[in-house]
Amino acid sequence: MTAHPMARPGPGLRGRLGRALPYILLAPGLLWLTVFYVLPAIQMFTYSISTGSVENGYTITLSADAYSEALGKFGKQFLNSILYGGIATILTLMIGFPVAYTIAFRGGRYKNLILFLVIAPFFTSFLIRTISWKILLGDEGPLLAPLKHTFGLLPGTFSILGTPIAQVAGITYNFLPFMILPLYVALEKIDIRLVEAAEDLYANRSAAFRRVTLPLALPGVFAGSLLTFIPAMGDYINAELLGSPGTRMIGNVIQNRLLVQNDYPVGSALSFLLMAGILVAVAVYARLLGTEQLTG
Amino acid sequence: MNEQDPPAPRLVSRRRFVQGTAMAGFAAFLAACTGTKSGASPSETAPSAAAAASTEPSVGPTAAPTDKVVTGPLKFANWPAYIDQTTAADAQSGLLPAGSSKTIEDFQKTYAVQVDYEEKIGDNPTFFETIRPALAGGLATGWDLVVLTDWMAARIIAKSWAEQIDQENVPNCANNLRDALRGQTWDPNNDFHYPWQSGMTGIGYNAKTLAENKIAEPTKIADLWSIPADKLTFLTEARDTFGLGLLKLGIEPDPAKVTSDDLKKVADDMQPLVDKGLRFTGNEYLQDFGQKKVWAAFVWSGDLASSGGADDKFAFPEEGTMIWTDNMLIPKGAVNKYTAELMMNWVYDPAVAAQIADYVYYVSPVSGANEKIKALDPGAESNPLLFPTADIVAKQRNFQFLSGELETTLNDLFATLSGL
Repeated sequence: MTAHPMARPGPGLRGRLGRALPYILLAPGLLWLTVFYVLPAIQMFTYSISTGSVENGYTITLSADAYSEALGKFGKQFLNSILYGGIATILTLMIGFPVAYTIAFRGGRYKNLILFLVIAPFFTSFLIRTISWKILLGDEGPLLAPLKHTFGLLPGTFSILGTPIAQVAGITYNFLPFMILPLYVALEKIDIRLVEAAEDLYANRSAAFRRVTLPLALPGVFAGSLLTFIPAMGDYINAELLGSPGTRMIGNVIQNRLLVQNDYPVGSALSFLLMAGILVAVAVYARLLGTEQLTG
Repeated sequence: MNEQDPPAPRLVSRRRFVQGTAMAGFAAFLAACTGTKSGASPSETAPSAAAAASTEPSVGPTAAPTDKVVTGPLKFANWPAYIDQTTAADAQSGLLPAGSSKTIEDFQKTYAVQVDYEEKIGDNPTFFETIRPALAGGLATGWDLVVLTDWMAARIIAKSWAEQIDQENVPNCANNLRDALRGQTWDPNNDFHYPWQSGMTGIGYNAKTLAENKIAEPTKIADLWSIPADKLTFLTEARDTFGLGLLKLGIEPDPAKVTSDDLKKVADDMQPLVDKGLRFTGNEYLQDFGQKKVWAAFVWSGDLASSGGADDKFAFPEEGTMIWTDNMLIPKGAVNKYTAELMMNWVYDPAVAAQIADYVYYVSPVSGANEKIKALDPGAESNPLLFPTADIVAKQRNFQFLSGELETTLNDLFATLSGL
């Protein structure tokens, strides 16, 4: 029921427009998602249950072969994705929280400047940022060369590139702003008087942080973790440039199957499994953090 | 400063530049002799009418029918380190802009057309995947000229995805292609392709780094197995990697005889290296050598000589090498087909061919180029990269044209090996 009495008398143009307005406003977004997400997703799904080849076309055979191959052969890469994506998410949280906290509560008039600095690297392309890590972590790069030759701390054969360390470092770096910004937004909204009130009620500083600041920042943690974890899981650039065959992630396999081997069924099946995996992970995570209260 | 005489338009070859001042007088003399010629006229096979009198660029399109219009920019995709490039000396003297190529610059001047020469090809399958969708859909690929290895060239031609070359436009190619490279079963009359360069796949290594780590320089493929695996790279070109892998195991890499089991043995032999950090790369191994990320690798023969550091060496492994030829093709739907043909013709001028080969250190497919190379770069005839010795030739193996079954096995094994 509309509360406003003026709206009652009827289906005038204004009223009808009023009721349609939300849909009109949603239309561009919905259309976009339909064309570029729903339809391709359906297409991918049909590939995943088809057999055939790029040359001879695909026929839907409802075969589950692609799924069994995807699950049977690429367990390691799935595991790598979860592991590296997970570690990177935790690292971004550990690095990002103090940064966001400082900007929100101690930033003062430099707030905007620091926020700008956080996103400044994004003015460079993702690829170039990742390649620059290749140089940075290179065997004779600016980090390792001095440690090896000047200080003699490391043996000459030591290298970081090609190991999971380089890969996780790259992912962490690339997704850090996605963690910091939502955290900042959440922390910035916190009414400082609540913390003061906690302290008035004999909470010490750490108790006030644990009982007041942290719970209020949880929506930011939630949003930041999702924004980091989901793309990190599917990322393949970092693995491609900083990793080695042993550290491949599921994104590499999907890229290879779809674009190099032209194995659309397995590539599509892998994509769907990844999507399902992420949905489950997010659902569990939301349940644990209790998002009903957080978002509502 | 001294603005009197502009230097003779002659490039200093990379190696001769390195040879230093002792040769300078002779080099200048050579420059004076050969410079104008190599700069100006695609010589021998030029239409006779245009030839004699003038020293001006005087070739080809002057006599061409009117429908043969030079259009541009010519989009030319090639592999890294695969054409002569401006040397430091040329760039300093202002003769050529840095990062340019005399071959390309001269072509642009002669035909008044722009050439977008891009080092876009790091291995065959990856590049092919960038143009396959367009070709399959009957669309232009955006390239007018591409350079691909025999097996991939054959595949594209078999699919009718290459434009037929108008032989009238490429008299140099028709006349100067070496006999040994003619009559390929997949394109016997060169209707669709002309070779760019031939080369071998063998071992590359950084002598200094190996010495520092007290590792002997590799002479056999098997020697690579005793180098730390995370300092090694093999090639994403699976035929090269598995071909050398077969040789290492003493299995003759003859596509007619090799079995899936043989390939499996190679994969099993390499898996421990992968577990310890072996990587697979395309032509970007050149960057890895530059950054000393890699100590030894499977590489293509000329690259390290032309574009590596002073300590980067190429070795012909005792077991043998893989031999291949990369070929120029005009992808179906190319918008500047005539210009692409002119470019093919241009690089089949022996003088131009010599200029390219003597820089890139690969084997030129152009007959008559050898003499020009020797004239251009005295001593080059003893360089096995340019002129493989009989012993090297005897050990060259061609592992390119595989049966469908073998290819599927190869791709599967290679994907698993590279973690994909």
